[in-house]
Amino acid sequence: MDAFIQMENVSMLYGNNGVRAAALRGIYLSIDAGEYVVITGESGAGKSTLLTILGGLQVPSSGAVLIKGVDLSSLSADRLADFRRETIGFIFQAYHLLPYLTARENIMVPMSPLRTSAREKAERAESLLASVGLSGKEERLPSELSGGECQRVAIARALVHDPSVLLADEPTGNLDSTTGEQILDLFSRLHKAGKTVLMVTHNRANLFRATREIRLRDGKVAEVDG
Amino acid sequence: MNIRKLAWKNLFRRKSRAVFMGLGIFLGIGTFVALASLTAQMEQAVQDKLDRFGANILITPRTEQLSLGFGDISLGGTQVAHSRLTTADEKAIRGIEMKERLRSVVPFFLAAADASGKNLVWMGVPAMEIVAARPWWKISGSPIREKGEVLLGSEVSAALDKGPGGTVVSGGRTFLVTGVLHPTGEKEDGMIIASIGEVRSLAGNFRGVTFFEVAALCKDCPVEEIVAQIGDALPGARVSAIRQVVESRKAAVDQFRRLGLGVSAIVLAIGGLMVFVTVMGSVQERTKEIGVLRAVGFRRRAILSLLFWETGWVSLLSSVSGAFIGVAAAMLAAPLFGVEKAEAAFSPALLGVAIGIVLGLLGTVPPARRAAALSPTEAIRSL
Repeated sequence: MDAFIQMENVSMLYGNNGVRAAALRGIYLSIDAGEYVVITGESGAGKSTLLTILGGLQVPSSGAVLIKGVDLSSLSADRLADFRRETIGFIFQAYHLLPYLTARENIMVPMSPLRTSAREKAERAESLLASVGLSGKEERLPSELSGGECQRVAIARALVHDPSVLLADEPTGNLDSTTGEQILDLFSRLHKAGKTVLMVTHNRANLFRATREIRLRDGKVAEVDG
Repeated sequence: MNIRKLAWKNLFRRKSRAVFMGLGIFLGIGTFVALASLTAQMEQAVQDKLDRFGANILITPRTEQLSLGFGDISLGGTQVAHSRLTTADEKAIRGIEMKERLRSVVPFFLAAADASGKNLVWMGVPAMEIVAARPWWKISGSPIREKGEVLLGSEVSAALDKGPGGTVVSGGRTFLVTGVLHPTGEKEDGMIIASIGEVRSLAGNFRGVTFFEVAALCKDCPVEEIVAQIGDALPGARVSAIRQVVESRKAAVDQFRRLGLGVSAIVLAIGGLMVFVTVMGSVQERTKEIGVLRAVGFRRRAILSLLFWETGWVSLLSSVSGAFIGVAAAMLAAPLFGVEKAEAAFSPALLGVAIGIVLGLLGTVPPARRAAALSPTEAIRSL
């Protein structure tokens, strides 16, 4: 059986004018549906680059990325955008909520190009806010929410299209340990609900929740545990 | 939440940027609408004046130059009229197909007659129509109103040493001088103006007309067509449009219109540039936001749509307010440009709103294309 996510000999080079630096070198990776994978490594090891390539936000310099059997390099920019919307939910370390929108509106942003009625969109957003424990804070702006609450809103936004894969880049990096634990609990819950979770972190305390750890060093897979 | 609302919310977040962007369109459209509206009103005013003051069609008998000579000896020449105009011709003129366009048909009769011992040219015109036929005349005294009254041209007044209140004797009758014309530089300066009936009586020609002056209301109609219809009605007459005055006045308005269009084009170009610069700056500033939107599945078209909606809102609001201010400014300025009755001109305003929206959207094309072409890689690096 083919893996849910597959990377074959993926390399990513940056730079120009003849000076090139490799962020990833010949990565082979295979992740099954429903796994909770933690990607660890030192700064500059290539963790975030790996995540953005998996999310179709970056095209690797060489190699192939397949998700659910779809070769991302075969998709046009628009099809890739559709694929991201339908399959992948991104969660960033700095939340990246739109500061001029309320919590409810931020969750509705990914739905804005769709022709769904405003009411349906609002109901979906409210239900997601409730699922991440933020009922009653629908009208709050990001500036009126704590870091943990902002990250919950960001997670709810990532879940708006019910994606099968969640890609999280240091989701607890800006949070205190207690709040970070709560966010990790949320990820565990989502994993148990059937989501495939890939989380970049350099906090090894996160590892015990994951089913597997992939350790990167200098752009290569150094170790796979689990 | 949809793209329109997202655009609207973003505008409120960046109010000063939106105001700056809108200011360019506002000034451009305000200028355009004010100048276009003012030009339209001036054009109307000039036409109204042309219609109201003075004639624009002259009807004279058709004449031919007849050379006189014997063998190789030339004895000069003379004008020979094919036919003469009479009072009956007025009915024919008023019977043309476009008769409703004729504001006035004024007969004139010229004759040489004695005036207190001097042989002078008398101009006969219906007494009650003198003011309408020659509105530019300035009279010391008052115009003639009834039989037995005359106006003197300035040169005649000097030659006879007569002024208002004086009398002139001709054909055994005494005429009261009611007024003296200020010098006009025209032939009237050397004429005595009296009621047409009295001049005919002095000349012994009771139905004669030397020429007709016709004032046609011709804002939207071709005066040539009226001329042609009168020509058909009076085959023996020479009918000509007094184009020179009309054309020169229209040329002045045309020049103003061209100037207005030039100024508007420059201001609109600056407005478009302001939109371009503002949206380009906004795209640079919002690379991160665009990256987030791409990450959550926005297609390039959705990014384009977002930016076009933002500019669309600003363009619409600033164009409408610019058009409103332009119309108001034109109404306020109209009296300074000789427009007696200022009116709101809505056509330039509607055109201005359309131009403003198109201008705003055109100014957005390059930056929006840049934003849509922004690769997620580039956008995501700023996250």
